[in-house]
Order: sequence, then structure tokens, then C-alpha cells
Amino acid sequence: MTATLIGRARRGVVAVIVAALLVPAAASTVTAATTPAAATSRLTLPPATRATLKSGLAVVIVPTPRLPLVDFRLVVRAGSVNDPDGKEGLASLTADLLTQGAGSRTAVQIAEDIAFVGGTLTAGGGAEQLVVACEVLTKDFGIGLELLRDVIVSPSFPAEEFERKQAETIGAIQSARNDPATIADLALGPFLLGKSPLAHPAIGWEKSVAAITRDDVVRFHATHLQPNRALLAVVGDVDPKTVLAALETAFAGWKGGDERAGDAYQPVPQTSGHRVLIVRKPEVNQTQIRLACIGVPRNHPDYFPIRVANTILGAGFTSRLVNEIRVNQGLTYSISSRFGMFRNAGTYAITTFTKNETLRKTIDATFAEVKKLRDQGPTPEEVNKAKRFLTGQFPLGLQAPDDLAAQILDQDFYGLEPDWLQAFSARIDAVTIEDVRRALKSYFCVDDMRILVVSNPETARAALEGLGPIEVREPQ
Amino acid sequence: MHRIPALLALLLAVAAAAPAAAAPKARPAPARSSAALTPAAFKVERQTLPNGLVVLMHEDHSVPTVTFWQWFKVGSRNERPGITGISHYFEHMMFNGSKNVAPKEYDRIIESSGGYSNAFTDYDMTAYYEDIASDRLEVLFRLDADRMAGLTLDPAVLKSEIEVVKEERRLRTENDISGMLDEQLYAAAFVSSPYGWPTVGWMGDLERMKREELVEYFRTYYAPNNCILVLTGDFDSKTVLAQITRHFGPIPAQPAPARPVNSEPVQNGERRVEVRYPAENVSFQVGYKAPAVGDADVPVLDILDSILGDGESSRLHRALVYEKQIALGVGSFFATRLEPTLFEFVVEMKPGHTAAAGDSALSEVLERLAKEGPTPRELQKAKNLVEAGFVKSLKTNNGVGQQIGFFEHVYGDHREMFRLLDRYRTVTAADCQRVARAIFRPERRTIAVLVPVGEDGAGATPP
Repeated sequence: MTATLIGRARRGVVAVIVAALLVPAAASTVTAATTPAAATSRLTLPPATRATLKSGLAVVIVPTPRLPLVDFRLVVRAGSVNDPDGKEGLASLTADLLTQGAGSRTAVQIAEDIAFVGGTLTAGGGAEQLVVACEVLTKDFGIGLELLRDVIVSPSFPAEEFERKQAETIGAIQSARNDPATIADLALGPFLLGKSPLAHPAIGWEKSVAAITRDDVVRFHATHLQPNRALLAVVGDVDPKTVLAALETAFAGWKGGDERAGDAYQPVPQTSGHRVLIVRKPEVNQTQIRLACIGVPRNHPDYFPIRVANTILGAGFTSRLVNEIRVNQGLTYSISSRFGMFRNAGTYAITTFTKNETLRKTIDATFAEVKKLRDQGPTPEEVNKAKRFLTGQFPLGLQAPDDLAAQILDQDFYGLEPDWLQAFSARIDAVTIEDVRRALKSYFCVDDMRILVVSNPETARAALEGLGPIEVREPQ
Repeated sequence: MHRIPALLALLLAVAAAAPAAAAPKARPAPARSSAALTPAAFKVERQTLPNGLVVLMHEDHSVPTVTFWQWFKVGSRNERPGITGISHYFEHMMFNGSKNVAPKEYDRIIESSGGYSNAFTDYDMTAYYEDIASDRLEVLFRLDADRMAGLTLDPAVLKSEIEVVKEERRLRTENDISGMLDEQLYAAAFVSSPYGWPTVGWMGDLERMKREELVEYFRTYYAPNNCILVLTGDFDSKTVLAQITRHFGPIPAQPAPARPVNSEPVQNGERRVEVRYPAENVSFQVGYKAPAVGDADVPVLDILDSILGDGESSRLHRALVYEKQIALGVGSFFATRLEPTLFEFVVEMKPGHTAAAGDSALSEVLERLAKEGPTPRELQKAKNLVEAGFVKSLKTNNGVGQQIGFFEHVYGDHREMFRLLDRYRTVTAADCQRVARAIFRPERRTIAVLVPVGEDGAGATPP
């Protein structure tokens, strides 16, 4: 397993990551003609069985018999937004420790038993979701469920594993300062979101992780990992009735508290005016650039117009930004725009990079392109193209069982309409050019964008002069 | 990770008895009888057009989409000094204008049809794919046949696109520590093999490449007889073959390209290279000379790769990350390739720990495996991981097409993916021990170490 790249993709668009992105990786694209995407109209999702177990855990089971695989995915409504002040990183560290000792097994035994059946078992904490996932061959359903249940319900948090993971996490935070793109993504949260609980990276800061104790982890688990705050999906080559019975037995002992989880954070006010942050990285010859504003929450009434508008601006390979900044001007290998949408707030960011010499040119050209689209609006052909791209790509994200599980759980987690997946294409098709114009004017800021670069501070300062107040910082 | 692990048949309930029985406290599995992943059930139709173009088709009607892969048998292996990176440059230029499709039109038409296209380049291949709704498939044949028939290579577009490629090189290599080490590892390990230069190309070559060189390269390597088409998903083979014949059939074959020159001598001593660059911690990569596809020991190397580097229960993770706690991460990597290659290890140390400590821990693990071989359970675990990995690689049409194309090109026959699984099943502990001894020899290894320095290049900490 390794870090070595296999292919050198022409277009790997670099994903923007603010805190932890939970936005469905939407595909994107387009359209041209007037016919609705035929393929999506034929899309039929396998029937989902939904139930609430006696313990209060809501489950959804979807049979997909194409391959002898089964995927479990449990999402808990807890994340770095629940980190206490000064202990940023607690949710993530708690998630990391779930698999490091649980039930009757040590960390080594868990790793060994899941690998022995060729399966995977992972746990991770994002901004507002803590996710535990397990994938096994269908014949290994039993061991998969047992391990999943144990790490969720009865992790043992051995002291020596706590100390090891804590040290590893601090090392990982330090090592992240080697990578310019990671530095940019981690620094953007606080720069854009200020003191919001959404602002800090899920992994935390060196100092705050060092301040976490094993008791904090035990308490976080007891408080937040409760059946009435969680959703479980089981997708794969399974029989729903048998699975439901197995889940009922497995989770019978999981006790929950009475209260529903409250929202840990509020909407974040929009930025005003340009502000520039230069994060020092004197040795680079290419500058990472992030341009960002406050966006919208996931359950926003203009979700579909925003998706279409964003596809036109900065998703896919024919977007305005790719066309101008990459294709026409050769300034970058990748440029994209993206809305990061959470339960109560969101971000909107443009991500790119260019050689140090063309930093200002790239930012100016990017602003000009966004302004032009906002002021003049898209062409009908562009709107059509974006709609076709979005609806054409949508089924691809539902083919793999783990992808389907994630999509179904997002629908429940964000409280979307029950037919959301099925109706996606129809709702995209219903977006009009007026909707797109309105979305562009309402949610695609330019003059209030935060400008963050990771670069040589001297050359960057000279290049960015005049854009707004400039602050220079070390990577954290 | 193994590029392509293996197989399927085993996954059927019966064959899987061993792992299931060993799983502790397993509950009864609520399995349905799933579609059999056996050579007989996994149908691939293979046709060759008169111009030499190979077409492989695997129907799967579970989702109304199709993936269309085009595997060109050309990669940086086919280059020579002076034009390094030209294969990858083509990967970009193939989207930038052909005889009847103006620059920008290719992407516009595909996205307007709800499709997505991308590609990758490696030492041995350049592979392009499109994912699209079933009823739009023929649009792709028109576009892709047009670019195979003749690229425009417009001088203005060439000039702009090379800047994009240079930004890609800056992103992946010049400002990325693992990219720097990877490039230096291969450059130091190989003195004649074409694997000695990077797929993205040296910056100097990107700056000097000439249009005539591109024209010649295209004629030689982008011919129909140097390409494999793979279709997977929701389509009708008969209809599609007729369409492909109509669009691609008229493109003339070219003389078969010459085999690349590779006079790599035997390595008789460790090679060591340092990269001094500002960093928070030490990292290093180690490569041992390893055989090419066709060597009988390649499947054993895949199994060793799993034992050593797959997951938290692997030997390297256990030793360096879990027990000694000196590394943040460690991995092994072995890919089946057309030329003799490297069996690689990548180690990122915890801040404060030296490369020497990491290297000695790595060597200890390798020596022990060579001396004692794997335990029976460890060997079975590796086989189970490799087999399950293969099933997982088939989750999407795209993944299925990638496997078929890879085996057809690298192994010379897509059916080898099933034979490879059979071969994995016969690997013994003695095989693992023998091959570990033969491959992990100190005189056949190369190490590339990142030596952290201050911003001004001074103040190196001891590696």
C-alpha cells in the first residue's frame, strides 16, 4: 500500500477541503441538448428497508446483489463541531481510537481479524459526522457486523493505545506542514469561519491534541455515540429480513440517552471586503491559492440552482474557470469551485495553484471570470450542458455499494426529502436560467472573498499589494 | 498496492470455507446467492478489427451507463532522453483538437452528453476513459475515432498546454516530497532502463519538445494496432461492435513499434541518494530490483506485498508504527510492469526519528521474513486480502474495464486475471521465503532519503 502514484491523471481536479467536507462529490456536468438525460430516467434504485431498532438506532437496508460484498456505514451526529475549546481534535481522536481495542479484542486482534477475511474497518471524525464503515465479502457478514458493533458500542480505549494515537496525531499535524495544499486547506477554516466550531481542522492543533486526556475520549464516546444520534446503512448482497434480525440482536445492548443531539453551532455571518492571508512557505515555486466566502447549509432551498450555477463556473472540464485559467491562459493544471455544505452553515471556495510568478495574474483573471458570469449570466447552452452533466453523472455515484450507502445516509442525515435520490434528476431538470442567474447573484461573492495563499512571503506580498489588508503567518 | 489483484471465483461460498471457519464468533451470513464471479460467468467478448484494433466487451446491465476505455500501448517506457514526458503530453493533447473536432469541442460535446472523461499515463501505458449514459455511447466513438485518425497539434494550443503540464510537474514533483523522492529513487536505481526517467518528464525536456517529435510519436504509437478498446456496462455487444467497426475500421494500421531498448546492467551495490529540502520530518523510499511480468515469481511478490504492507496488521505497520512507534506511516508497493522494476517501500518517520532508525527497522522485517517465511495464517490472510481486493475493484463499470484493459495489455490476455488468482492459491510459505531471499538483497537496493534542511538550505539535521 503506498503513497506512490500510479497514474498521472491529466485532470485530477484537486478537491477543496474545508474542515471536513461532506458534500457529495458531485459530478458534474452538462448538457447540451434539449432532451432530458435518458439514462437517469431509467434509474431505478433497489428498494430500501427502513426500521428503527429497539435500541433506537435507525437503520436502512438495501440489497444490491451484483457482487458478493456487503458494506456497513454508521454515521453519528457528532464531530469536530463538538470539540471543547482547547481540546480541538477530540472527536477525530475518539473516532481513531474506536478500532484500537473493543469488546474482547485488542487493537492488534481487530486489525488481524478484519484483514484475515479481506475486509476493511475504518472510523473517522469529520466536522459534524463521525463515520464507522466496514466492507466484507457477503460470506463474512457475521464477523463484519460483530467488529462494527464492538467498535461502536464497546471500545475499550486502552491507555497505551491512547498515548500512541495521540503522539501519532501530533506527528501527523507536524508532517502536514510539508504539503502546501494541505497547509492551505487547514488554514482556510479559521481564516474564513473565525470562531465558529466549524473553523478548526478535525484533526485539531498540536497544542490542543496534546491537552486531550483519555478521560476526555471516554466521555466524548459516552456522550455522543448513542443509538438515537446515529444512522446505519447496510448495502450489498444481502436479504433485508435476515439482516434486520441480525442487527436487532447485535445492537440490543446499545443504550442511549434521552435527549436528541442539539446543534453545536450557528450560521456564520458573511465576510465583507477582501482580506489577504499569506501562509509562509518560502521554498515553494508554485503558490497554492484559495478564494473563499461563506456559503449555504446543505438543506438550502436553492440547492439545485446552486449546483447548476457552480457546475457552469467551476466543475467539470468545460467550466468557465477551467476554460479561461487553464485552457486559454495555461496558468494552472487545475481550478475548481465548490460549495462545502453542512447542517447549519457552508463555505464556497475556489481552489487553484500557479507558479509564483503568475500569482496575481491568476487571481485577477479568476475574479474577472466570476464577475463576468455573475453580471452577464450564463448562456442557455451552458445551463443545458450543466444540467445534462449533473444528471448524466449522478447514477455513477450510486453504483458501488459503499457509495450508495453514503448517499442514502446523507439524505437522512441532512433531513432531505425521502425521494431525494430518485428525484435528483427531475429537480435538476426543473432549474431555469433565471434560477441560475439568481443563484449566481446571491451566493457567488467576489468582492468579499477571503484570499489565502501558501507561498514565499516576499514575492507574494509584492504580488498581492492593493487587494486588501495583508496578514502573514506561519503554517500551524 | 497491487495494481491488480486477483480474483473471484473463490469468493463463492464453498471455496471460502477456510476463512469463514477461522473467523472468530462468526454469525451465520445472510447471504443471497449472488452472481457468480467465475471465468465462465464473467463473459468478455474479444474481437480484432482488420486494422489490428482489439475490442473487448463485457455487458453488465445493472446501471444504465457504460465505461469506454482506450488503452494505448505507449508510456514513458517508449520515450528516449530529450523527449521525456512526451507520452504524458499526449495525454493532454488528445483532448485538444482533431481533424473534425476543434479544440475545446471534445470536452464540450462529452459533458453536453452527460459524460465524463479522463486519462492517466504511466511507464507502460496511456489509458483514456469515458463514463456516459448508455444511449449516448456512439457520440464517443465519433470523437475518439476522430482523434485516433489524426490530431491537430495546433502550435498555439501546444504552447499553452505545455504550461499546464509544467504546472502539473510543479504540483506533483517539485513541491511534493514523495514526488521528489520517487523521481530520484527511479533515476538512481536505473542506468539504462526507460524507468529511469519520470513519466511527467524532466522540466528541460518539457521546455524543448518540438512539434515534429510529437507528429512522429503520434503516428507510431497512436495507431489502431497499438490500442485496446474496452467497453463495460449497459450496451449490446453486437450493435456496439458494428458502430466501432464503422468509426474505427477505416483508420489504417501502422508498422508495429520497436521494443524499447533496455540494457539495464545487474546492480551490484547499494545506491543512495539524498534530497535536501525543508521538511518537518524525515522520509525515505527504498526500491529493490524486481522482475517484469512473465516471471513466475510475480504472483509471489504480490503476496509478499500484502504480507509486508497491506493494512494495520501487516508486518511493516506492526513493527514501525505500532511496536517501535518511530514512523507515522509505512507502505509497500509492487506493480506488475512490462520491464524489470522496483519492489518499493515508502516510510514517513515521526518527527524526531532518523532515517537510519527507520531503515534498520525495515531491514530487520525483511530479513526475518526471508529467514522464517510467513506463518500459515499470515499467508492465508494475504491470499484473502488479494482476492477480496479483486472483487472490490469490480464495484463499478469503470473498475471492471480497468482490470480487463490492464490484463490484456500488461499480461497479454485479459483471461490472465483468472489464472493469476489460481496462481495465488498455490503460493506456499516456502515460495515466499525463497522469493524474499532472492529479491530483498542489500546489493540490489536503492534508497532515496529526504534530509530536512532550514528554509535557506542550511542547518541540516542528521538523517
